[in-house]
Amino acid sequence: MSNLEVDDRMGLRDAKIDSYRYLDFATRQIIKAWVKREAQEKRPIPWTPMTKPLAECTIALVSTAGVARLEDRPFDQEGERRNPWWGDPSYRRIPLGTTEKQVKLYHMHIDTRFGQEDLDVVLPMRRLGELADEGVIGRPADTHYSIMGYQLRPGVIEGETAPAIAREMKSRGVDAAALVPS
Amino acid sequence: MGLVQRVLESAGIPTVSLSMIPDFTRAVGVPRLAGIAYPMSRPMGRPGDATGQRDVLRSLLEVLASATTADAYVELPFTWPETPAQARKGSDVHPPIAQLLARKPWLLPRLYRGEIPDEV
Repeated sequence: MSNLEVDDRMGLRDAKIDSYRYLDFATRQIIKAWVKREAQEKRPIPWTPMTKPLAECTIALVSTAGVARLEDRPFDQEGERRNPWWGDPSYRRIPLGTTEKQVKLYHMHIDTRFGQEDLDVVLPMRRLGELADEGVIGRPADTHYSIMGYQLRPGVIEGETAPAIAREMKSRGVDAAALVPS
Repeated sequence: MGLVQRVLESAGIPTVSLSMIPDFTRAVGVPRLAGIAYPMSRPMGRPGDATGQRDVLRSLLEVLASATTADAYVELPFTWPETPAQARKGSDVHPPIAQLLARKPWLLPRLYRGEIPDEV
């Protein structure tokens, strides 16, 4: 069904996207050092096959932009200001239909103006609904999720936050998830 | 993001991620990945560009549906209409870690090496 070419790991030789083009000099150096380090880990990659056609799937989104509803607990920016090595590892639920007027983006490493102007720039719930109308997916999940992507020590997000999101998704009948960076 | 994706996938939920820094996300090791040559902060496209955002999301979900083995990687064919300098214009981002490292540049190697202190 796809006209896109799916590569395996060998496909790296065909990679054309310059991952560093839009990064400032300092960030570029840091990310390059991290790429080298992460690649040495050679973690086995998990795999869960799709068990039904996309057109029958309930899809949930995860944004790393630190999105929280205005009436919800903010991501802890003050904690990060006190200790810049730390980033709030918690998550927030974003109900389907929530708009940019009802949320704030708390990620301090991104330009939040764009997602704040149009939430679909970072958490495309409206677009997901439109793809359901087109028959591309079955339906959008009732609840979507946001974390804050600055996590230098990922222990909590890997050991607690992500497993909690996974449990919620399963209990809410989510068939598959799409993660959107920021 | 890659680590969260790995946990969801391990828990039995098929996942796909989008990345503006696919080198990094691939190095972390994720089952399905779509790279996109867009600037940070605008993963799905420009504010108000519903058509463009929908095209990106549709392509991302195609990767979810069509990938057959772990480490599937697709580069999406979308291009950004601005140069890096234009894309950064007006941006006012000052993360606390950048301010700390400007004051204490000798801590920078710790960030490179991932030797993250418990506190300042």
